[in-house]
Formats: sequence, structure tokens, C-alpha cells
Amino acid sequence: MCGTCGCADPNNEVSMTDPATGQKVVLNGGHDHGHDHGHDHGHEHDHGHDHPHDDHHHGHDAPHVHGPGGEIIPLEVAVLSKNDRFAAQNRGWFEGRGVVALNLVSSPGAGKTTLLEATIRALAGKIPVSVIEGDQMTANDAERIRAAGARAIQINTGAGCHLEADMVAEAARALDPEPGSLLMIENVGNLVCPAMFDLGEHMKIAVISTTEGEDKPIKYPHMFRAVDLVVINKMDLAAHVDFDEAACRANIAEVNPKAEVLCLSAKTGDGMDAWCARLREIVAAAGESAD
Amino acid sequence: MHELGLARNIAAIVREHARGRAVREVRVAIGPLACVERQALEFCWELVTENSDIGNVRLGFVEAEGDTFVVREMEFMEDA
Repeated sequence: MCGTCGCADPNNEVSMTDPATGQKVVLNGGHDHGHDHGHDHGHEHDHGHDHPHDDHHHGHDAPHVHGPGGEIIPLEVAVLSKNDRFAAQNRGWFEGRGVVALNLVSSPGAGKTTLLEATIRALAGKIPVSVIEGDQMTANDAERIRAAGARAIQINTGAGCHLEADMVAEAARALDPEPGSLLMIENVGNLVCPAMFDLGEHMKIAVISTTEGEDKPIKYPHMFRAVDLVVINKMDLAAHVDFDEAACRANIAEVNPKAEVLCLSAKTGDGMDAWCARLREIVAAAGESAD
Repeated sequence: MHELGLARNIAAIVREHARGRAVREVRVAIGPLACVERQALEFCWELVTENSDIGNVRLGFVEAEGDTFVVREMEFMEDA
């Protein structure tokens, strides 16, 4: 399925590595684009003619006409429907097990892995945490997570610029997270493509850092529109790089008025208490709604 | 950035639903928030379909709202 992304070539290899065992599994399932297997199920839903007057049909008064050419058939098939089906399965799997999955997105170098390391240490003994690490190459991040005390699986997307739902499904089954635990999915560092791909997560969280400037949210509005929470990291450097927190918050609010914002420094620990308290609330709330 | 892969997905949907019949045009509905660049998608459509069994299928666009991104309809050639 990583062929969905334009930067992946057909021979691109996607792999999964467990740093605990060093075992590497090649995932590449979907490069035939699926049109020869398993594709007939699941198409009985959401064809446009089940709800004839909704907005799916504007501009089309008669879906079954014979135009100047031949017959026209309505389809209403989401272009990313294959990924969306995997994502829906993941969501059910997570909910069924009482696992809260969070999809962390950011540009490379915003400090996602450092934030995760600090979070794992802070939540030790309180909430079990496991991590799916997405990067194009290397298992470095999964090693760091493991050293911080959590179970981790590394997915290497090769040329791919984002994680897709089927990769997360494989990794989640390998990790086998326990009920009541938090599954952090660290997406490939990229503020563009991951916005389009639902992984079945409970919530998307964006991490930006003070060194990137205040205007990331308005430069990459699609991503910031897709998240519920924005973490502003590296606040210890704010003064050195003339970071304007009020301007950054205003930019986030401009593209996503509902987004929560938390400022912290994963390095010094400032603000980590509020972040961890918020994570515990999210896990508790998900547990209650499941009961 | 991902238009090439999106074009591949659209091609797969066309093949699946055409079931061997000749297709004149596939029309895709794209909303302004869908994060999809039409020109890039058109360019990629040619690359993906060139010299293939769906090489003559045109890609058409339909206005849509929000982040809609669906293959809306397919027009077949007249049956001979």
C-alpha cells in the first residue's frame, strides 16, 4: 500500500523491526494494488443512490443516463477507501482491547522521539506505553524508545513518506498492547502526507518546536486542521530563537480553532506534568466511554 | 506529492468496476480541502495509464465540497 504515495516506487520495501529481538519482517503486501484479491467485499455500502438528495449528488440530476458516449454509472468510491477500511478495522481492534492509540505527526526534528522518551519515563508505573515508530530508514528511534523503557516496533517505509493503516495493523498485532494502555504511533516526520491517511487512531497530535518558527500551522494547514492537540516543544529555546508563543497560538487557532495547545520542553521537563496529566485524562475518558 | 499514488488507486478502481468494458471517462470529485492538486493528478494519470489497458480513459473532474475525494462516476464507451 505504500504505492499510494507518489514518492514510493513499485519495488519499495516496507519493513518492520522489533528492537527487542532484532527480527525484521518485510511487509510489502499491497503493491499489486489489490485489484486481484479480496476486493469484492465491502463494496455494498455507501453507493450514492441510497441517499438520493444529499450533497453527494450535486451537479448530477440523473446518475444512470446514457450520455453522448455510453452508460454512466455512479460509483462514489473513496480513492483512499482501501486505507480507510484498514483504519476502521484498527479502530475497532483498539477499542475492543481498550487501547488508546495516538498518531503523532510533525516535521523531522521537532522532537517527537525525545517527547516520547520523556513521556515513557514520566508515565512509568502509571500507564503502560508502547510505541510504533515510523521512519524511512533505521531502527534508531525504536532503540531509543526501548532504552527509555517501553515496547517498540520500528516500521521502515523505505521511500514512503507516511505510515498507512495496514502497516499499523501489523505492528499493533506484533506489539500486542495490553488493555488500558497507550499506543503512541510516531509517524514519519512530514507535515503533508500523513494528514491524508487515517491509521485508526483515537486522536492525531501535532508536535512543533520553537526553532521551526511560528508559522508552521498556516504553512501546513491541512495537517493542523486534522489534529486535536498541538504540542509546542523546545520551549527552553524559545528566548534564543525569538519564538513568539502568542503568534504561534494565533496561527494554530486560525486554521483549527478547536485545537488544544500545550507548551513544554521534553528536554528540561517543563510542562511535562500538564502533558502527562492530559494523556491520563485521554486514556481515562476512552476507558469510560468504552464501559 | 502523493498524486502518483492517488492516480494508481483511481486506475485500480476503474479496472475493478469496468470489468473489461471499455471506459470513456472516469470523473473524480475533489473538494478544496482534499489536499489534491488537479494538474499534478492529470499529469500522473497519463503516466499511470499510458500504454496500458486503460490508456484511453480520460480523467474528468467534478466540483465537490470540503475534503471530498471520491471517484464519482464512470462513463463507458457505447456498446458496439
